[in-house]
Amino acid sequence: MSLMADDIIQFSSVLRIAYNLLAGRDYLKRKKFREKKKLISVALPFSDLIYGFPDLVPVFPIRMHAFKIHKYLTYLSLGSDIFGWKRVSKFLSFVKNLGISEASRIIEEIIGDVIDTVNDKYNEMYDLGIESGIPNDFCYGIKSLYGMHVSKGKNVEATLNYTIRCSAWNKYLESLKTIENPAKQVWIDIPPRNIGNALELLTENIYDAIRELEKISGNNYDKNILRNHFQVANEIRKYYKTILYEISTSDFYPCNPATFSEILVILNNSFQDYNSNAIRYRDNMLSLVNEMKERIRNKIGMDVSKMPRILVTPMFGGWEPKSHEIIYELGGRALYADWDMLLLLEEIPISKFSDPVEAYAQFLLNATKTGIGCDNDTLTDSYIRLAKQLNAEGLVFIQLFGCHSISNCYAMLKEKIRRDLEIPSIALTFNKIGENVEQVKTRLGAFMEMFK
Amino acid sequence: MDDLEILSEYSLYLKEKKEEGKKVIGFIAHDNIPEELIDAAGFIPLRMIFAGNDDLMNASHDYLPPSTCAFAQSSIGLFSLKPSQFNFLDLLDYFIVSNHCVSDICASEIISKYFNIPRLNFYISYTKNDNSLKYFKLELIDLKQQLEKIRGSEIPSKDLRESILKYNKFKKRLLEINNLYMKGSKKLKIIQKALLFGPDFIQDLEQIIQEYKEKSPINQINSKDLVLTGCSIFINDYLIDLIEEAGGNVVFLDTWIGNHYSSQIIDDKLIDAKKDPLNLIIKRFHDNIYGDHSVPNYLEFKISQIEKIYHDYKLKTGKKLGVINHIIKFCDHISIMSAHLKNQLQEKGIRVLNLERDYSRANRGQLSTRIEAFMEML
Repeated sequence: MSLMADDIIQFSSVLRIAYNLLAGRDYLKRKKFREKKKLISVALPFSDLIYGFPDLVPVFPIRMHAFKIHKYLTYLSLGSDIFGWKRVSKFLSFVKNLGISEASRIIEEIIGDVIDTVNDKYNEMYDLGIESGIPNDFCYGIKSLYGMHVSKGKNVEATLNYTIRCSAWNKYLESLKTIENPAKQVWIDIPPRNIGNALELLTENIYDAIRELEKISGNNYDKNILRNHFQVANEIRKYYKTILYEISTSDFYPCNPATFSEILVILNNSFQDYNSNAIRYRDNMLSLVNEMKERIRNKIGMDVSKMPRILVTPMFGGWEPKSHEIIYELGGRALYADWDMLLLLEEIPISKFSDPVEAYAQFLLNATKTGIGCDNDTLTDSYIRLAKQLNAEGLVFIQLFGCHSISNCYAMLKEKIRRDLEIPSIALTFNKIGENVEQVKTRLGAFMEMFK
Repeated sequence: MDDLEILSEYSLYLKEKKEEGKKVIGFIAHDNIPEELIDAAGFIPLRMIFAGNDDLMNASHDYLPPSTCAFAQSSIGLFSLKPSQFNFLDLLDYFIVSNHCVSDICASEIISKYFNIPRLNFYISYTKNDNSLKYFKLELIDLKQQLEKIRGSEIPSKDLRESILKYNKFKKRLLEINNLYMKGSKKLKIIQKALLFGPDFIQDLEQIIQEYKEKSPINQINSKDLVLTGCSIFINDYLIDLIEEAGGNVVFLDTWIGNHYSSQIIDDKLIDAKKDPLNLIIKRFHDNIYGDHSVPNYLEFKISQIEKIYHDYKLKTGKKLGVINHIIKFCDHISIMSAHLKNQLQEKGIRVLNLERDYSRANRGQLSTRIEAFMEML
């Protein structure tokens, strides 16, 4: 649970993003059954192409589940329908400031609940993935994603599959065909290296996928719709980067650092499908940035100048969510920025290409070549670049059990950290949420001693 | 002929080749490395097909976490510990970093970076469509250029064509060997040795084939017949001995050391002097549907292939084959769908043992028990 979740209440945008993340099921049911839209499963931040088709809705599959939504978040949502979000959150803030203890206590629970609820579901899906035949060898992310498709895959028309350097990922995507009544698969092969006319080939591969999506959608592809979406997507990326690079690196935070980390977790989760509505997500991201800046201007928040910035990465495939609270208790502030480490927060270069598909191909190829990298040398450079950009003073590396791709390069990374950054680092092993909290505490305790 | 003998012979062979001025190009062996290009460049391809043990695996943990494919761990361990029988690895001039799987990338990169072996790159797409074939050609051209830079001159098309013919002949002989009825351990040793020596071993293969053809076929071995699929059994591995000790006999190797490699023959009729020989290698890549690298139809193809092997064998001998699906721990490709492979084959009446293991000695007893139990079921 969050340590000072009441901070959040003054960020109505975070409440909205959190609510949209958790209430996806109702939203998606409405889209599917009432508006006759078709759901397309996506994972990792690869949903953009789907937004080129207004009657297709991208969904990160965990969002199809029913979550136990905190009753106050539900009330907030209902109230917002009538009064608007901003007024509702101001009202709650007022209630809290009056010292009505129950309201205060409940408010504190809200954001912690969001994170806990999502993580409980992840664990449930992890177990389901194993029960359904995924061997224990595989990483937390793959096991839980498989579980998500076992339980909710029947609701989607197709899965949009991008090949990346991780062979387990590519094979996992194929393995979705083993689920009963599998969804159609639409593949986009990203060439491993940018050589020769690889960009042209990737552009053609995306066009092939577009043809498939046209068949599913029943409508023709319209490049203006995709271009407009990419503009929205670029704005989202810009706001995300503002939070990462302007706000998280500053000495004064608009809230408690543990809460700030939780906001970064929510963004990390929700960025994968923009909570199935990119424009709404963009608007919320803009509000979030404005609210944060306003609070900083008004000196509402916390001086964090004495708290070392600890980059915790990679966490998208699974990590112990208590980490940031532990780091906070030990005097630090945890930063999560995986998507930018992989260069997936770069702008889609629509201004440089008349064809938006070609621009997207360039974006993907750039992420593959320079972000994810086709080897660990490039990948470790990405960790170093990110740590430098965030002015990280320490790095916690998540060594995810069963990950053979993104989190197995610590030996090489450690060498580069020593050579290029000269900051302390530590590797934490991770298998399943909640399994190893005590060990994480002990290890982080020893690690944070280095900053005293 | 035991493993030590093979390795010692191979060591001498490589030294001779080095003395002739040839360069040695190593790679973690898989089905899409165009070894004909290496051969046509006048270099010697060295396939990393060596199994491990606890010491080798442990020695890799300075570079990779233990939850990495045991084969990749052992390959790194070989360079780190340098056991005396593997001294020939010092003769490597270059190492190819490729992406058969992500462990291939990581292990190859580590071998090149930390053991100071200059690196060559060769990456392949995961899907098979027109564009992935075009991409494959880009990589072939790139590798060709890397090799030409090393040798200081172009690789003539004629030489590449000859290499393709040579490897074709080699693979045909290996295919014959795989189809001979002999003790599985013996067959495996022959194929392993052949993969080390390459087409220089053709004459030996022909001699073995001749000898076996003269012997009376079938019913020589009273055992439970098996097809081995999944991960290869590499040199220095005891697995096949365990299978034989339990009363089994691997009659067909449906692994890279075996059918995956030897079945990748280019139709001789296509080898035309007027055509670009690189297109032949692309054609082979296209036709390689049983390789475990590709998505999204690997499982379907694999099941249909095993079914065919099973039925052909039953037709030929009247005997039912059991299937051992060999899964090296943390192998992304073979492991992830192993439960589904087993279920789907068992639904068709084919018995399957998913045998997951790493190279630790402690596993030996447990493996034996599992194999014995499976044999009893057959």
